[in-house]
Amino acid sequence: MKKLLFISLSSLALAQPPVAPTNEQTGALRGDNSGNYNIIQSFELGYRFATVGGDGGMYDSTVNYGDGIRLLSSSLTVQSRDGHGRLFDHLVITTQGLGNDPYQSAILRIEKNRLYRYDMMWRLAQYVDPAATVSFGEHAMNTMRTMQDHDFTLFPDGRYRLFLGYSRNLETGPALTTIQLFNAQGNEYPLFENVHREVNEYRLGGEVHLLGMRLNVMHGWEDFKEDSPESLTSPSTGNNPGQMLNSFQSTEPMHGTSPYWRVGLFREGKKLWAVNGRFTYVAGKNAFVLDEMSAGTAFRGVPTQLQVVTLGNAERPALTANLTVSLFPATHVVVTNQTSFSNIRMIGDAYFTEFENGFQSSPVLPFQYLGIETFANSTDLAYHPSKWFTLHGGFEYSDRHINSIQGQSSLGEPPPHQAAIEQSNQLKAGTLGFRLKLLKALTVSVDGEVGRENKPIYPISDGNYQAFRARVEYKTKVFRAGVYAKSDYNVNSDVLTSYASHARQYGADGSWIPRSWFSIDASYTKLHLNTLGGIDYFSQGIDVSGESSYYISNIHTATLGAHFTVLKRADVYAGYSHVQDVGDGRAAPDGAGLYSALPAFQAAQTFPLRYLSPQLRLSVRITPKVRWNAGYQYYGYREEFSAAQDYRANTGFSSLAFSF
Amino acid sequence: MDCGGSWLASGSFSLTILLRSRETSHGGPWLDEVVKLLRVVQAALFLTALSNASDYVGSDACKTCHALIVNQFFRNPHYKSIASGTETPENTGCESCHGPGKAHIDARGGNATIVAFSEIGPEKTLDACLRCHSQTISRANIRRSVHTQEDVVCSNCHSVHNSKSPKFLLARKQTELCYTCHASVKAQFSMPFKHRVNEGVVECTDCHNPHGTFAASWRMSSRPRMVDQKEANEEPCLKCHADKRGPFVYEHASVRIDGCETCHMPHGSTNAKMLKRPTIFTVCLECHNGAGSFGIANNGAIHLSSTHNMADPRYQNCTTCHVRIHGSNADALFMR
Repeated sequence: MKKLLFISLSSLALAQPPVAPTNEQTGALRGDNSGNYNIIQSFELGYRFATVGGDGGMYDSTVNYGDGIRLLSSSLTVQSRDGHGRLFDHLVITTQGLGNDPYQSAILRIEKNRLYRYDMMWRLAQYVDPAATVSFGEHAMNTMRTMQDHDFTLFPDGRYRLFLGYSRNLETGPALTTIQLFNAQGNEYPLFENVHREVNEYRLGGEVHLLGMRLNVMHGWEDFKEDSPESLTSPSTGNNPGQMLNSFQSTEPMHGTSPYWRVGLFREGKKLWAVNGRFTYVAGKNAFVLDEMSAGTAFRGVPTQLQVVTLGNAERPALTANLTVSLFPATHVVVTNQTSFSNIRMIGDAYFTEFENGFQSSPVLPFQYLGIETFANSTDLAYHPSKWFTLHGGFEYSDRHINSIQGQSSLGEPPPHQAAIEQSNQLKAGTLGFRLKLLKALTVSVDGEVGRENKPIYPISDGNYQAFRARVEYKTKVFRAGVYAKSDYNVNSDVLTSYASHARQYGADGSWIPRSWFSIDASYTKLHLNTLGGIDYFSQGIDVSGESSYYISNIHTATLGAHFTVLKRADVYAGYSHVQDVGDGRAAPDGAGLYSALPAFQAAQTFPLRYLSPQLRLSVRITPKVRWNAGYQYYGYREEFSAAQDYRANTGFSSLAFSF
Repeated sequence: MDCGGSWLASGSFSLTILLRSRETSHGGPWLDEVVKLLRVVQAALFLTALSNASDYVGSDACKTCHALIVNQFFRNPHYKSIASGTETPENTGCESCHGPGKAHIDARGGNATIVAFSEIGPEKTLDACLRCHSQTISRANIRRSVHTQEDVVCSNCHSVHNSKSPKFLLARKQTELCYTCHASVKAQFSMPFKHRVNEGVVECTDCHNPHGTFAASWRMSSRPRMVDQKEANEEPCLKCHADKRGPFVYEHASVRIDGCETCHMPHGSTNAKMLKRPTIFTVCLECHNGAGSFGIANNGAIHLSSTHNMADPRYQNCTTCHVRIHGSNADALFMR
């Protein structure tokens, strides 16, 4: 029992979740018997509060807990005692944040042994983003996303299994966006967007166990619908006064469907070999219509009425095939080879026409084709000569071909023949690592990977990269400590430009549970990133080349948590989380003129900020089945170079938790 | 046969007594060699005993010493093997995982006389669990997964007898399990802008498959290694962010070729919208510099035009005009 308590306490201390719901349990969860069932139930009902000073939009974007009564958490478990329940043998329901929390979820599982299993997951997340550093804040969003997944399995443990599934993903809510009108010399105008996006996915599949092989087939249909009309709420001079938008209305209903097939094959043969394969095919299609009408004053005061009409289709058939063969030639040797192939083709055409002040432009039919074909083969070897030593390594070869065609034709005429632009890229990568268990409690892991691509697709893509990772961990039942270091370097240079990124991470973390009534844990991580990438841009109409975009961040994160039990009746948890990007150490946004003469690039080289959150939680046992909980959590966000988005928030809760 | 099995188990038991007495005595190096030999003999006897089907005693016999576990076992998903009443002894209850219990009982306990998962090592633990749990496609790549290579196997994350989660017998809450080793990821989820993992509405397994994955169909398939795919073969981001999926007439090729992490940091970031940079124009210009043979047309990713005066703040927010940056149906430059 003492061991169980240790495990429970250590789990309290590892993460820094929001202050509520409470983790402490009320008494031992033995449950009550009712007929042939054993029932365990608990729920925590309480009140949350939050007061925010400073930029409320940024608080909503990063934390977003508000005031009100909440069912902070609940759970119900009903279990048949002999495994022969009438309708079900196992039922679990858990919920979190119901009421009005910005993050809510509910999970349901109901199962009758060997006959059926049904899983449901429902989630709600509020997304708020003032987007102040993106598009002048004119792309702010306040949407709600609800997702639900339903999966039913018939004969879950049988030789033949049937799967039925349904998922729904709905995003709704207000948002802001922008439009650039009426021509290249035009202006940008903020718009209101009523977001409505909906995905419905239906799945049907089965699995057969025959001749020592398992064949899994899944057929699914994913439907996507979007109709997020955009409008102008009042006449606007836009971001650059001098022009005017008097009215604007745009609607772009689109309907996409992606039917897919997935076939999996698996066989494990008498511990000497295993083979599995997977084949998938998705036929993505999307049909759309755009109707946009605007009226205003364009460049040089020209009154303009513009209507844009576009309609068309886009397709993206995608096929993948994978085959993995694992061999176990000796007791301590595993050799795995995987071959994969994927082919994705994107084809689209869109009828496009404009009516400007009543005159129709020549309708055109632009089209695009993008094809990506990748073949990869990798072989991994794992060697376990003894319990204290493991060696593993591998090699991968990957070959990718990209074809693209872009063009347009006049309406009614066949598209002009254009040869596809082709390119290919080969990757060769090797991995090597070992794991040492010097003592039963002490483990050392070291891994490295080196990769070379001969034609990366973009300047920031992996080119010549090397990754390294090492970790040392000491772990006993009451004490755990680990230190680690990771690095990920990438150099990708080509004619006229160079790109280099260096990411390094160092950290230490540990937990200690010296007594059943006391535990403590702490972690520290430093995330270092610097990138140097060649840029070429225009300033006052002059082409500026030979400069670089330089970015550096040095993010220190630390968490500390301590848990006490007082007089076997009250639990106290104190936690602290601290994130601080010290940037490159400068005290003002102006840079030293390194790498770029443009002040905007110098100011973008670093972005120091501080984000901290202490919390304190108290949980008192009132009766064996009832606890009173209260907690307080502070959030502080501060950017070093601008106070516009800073905020301070005091949040907390008080609740009663019941367990039966 | 039964007698033979008992004899072998008894022999194993006798040797256990002898070996234990050796641990408390003092002797020369020759005695150590003898002990080593005896250990080998003991192991051989034990394994032989294991192979005897009549050595299965049933789960009720375990109750004598392990009452707490057995009495609560009806809550365990593995209980169905007992409830069915039709499984063979080696597939029923305690002994389906821990092996035949007779020798263990005869020896009055001890880790050497039973399959004790704390002792058998990661390789055998994986084998033991996969004997029944290899059947789903989500575990098809477990043998080649990075976790397995690192000796992180089933019992590192799952606790058959002390689970703290409502599903999947996880030893702890999922995020805490993952954070135990992935401390740098924990740090990323502490950032101001992040997926709501600590808040409990997103889980690590929404994007990752800890049991191993098939090769990714984006980037160059070598990395990332443990990122799961959407039901068919696409990036897991599209499970939720379906509006970015398209297909579009005008695809932003980087999204399809190198994936969402070209511009975003999926765990967490100090930048709005989990971008890699605090300001949008640096994200864009690091690729769109027109240099070299990059890009799908081999002539550099499209260079911005001379009308874009980067000294003017107006042009430092690229997505103010290029609003459909993930893909558009109406405009090749993603402007509507």
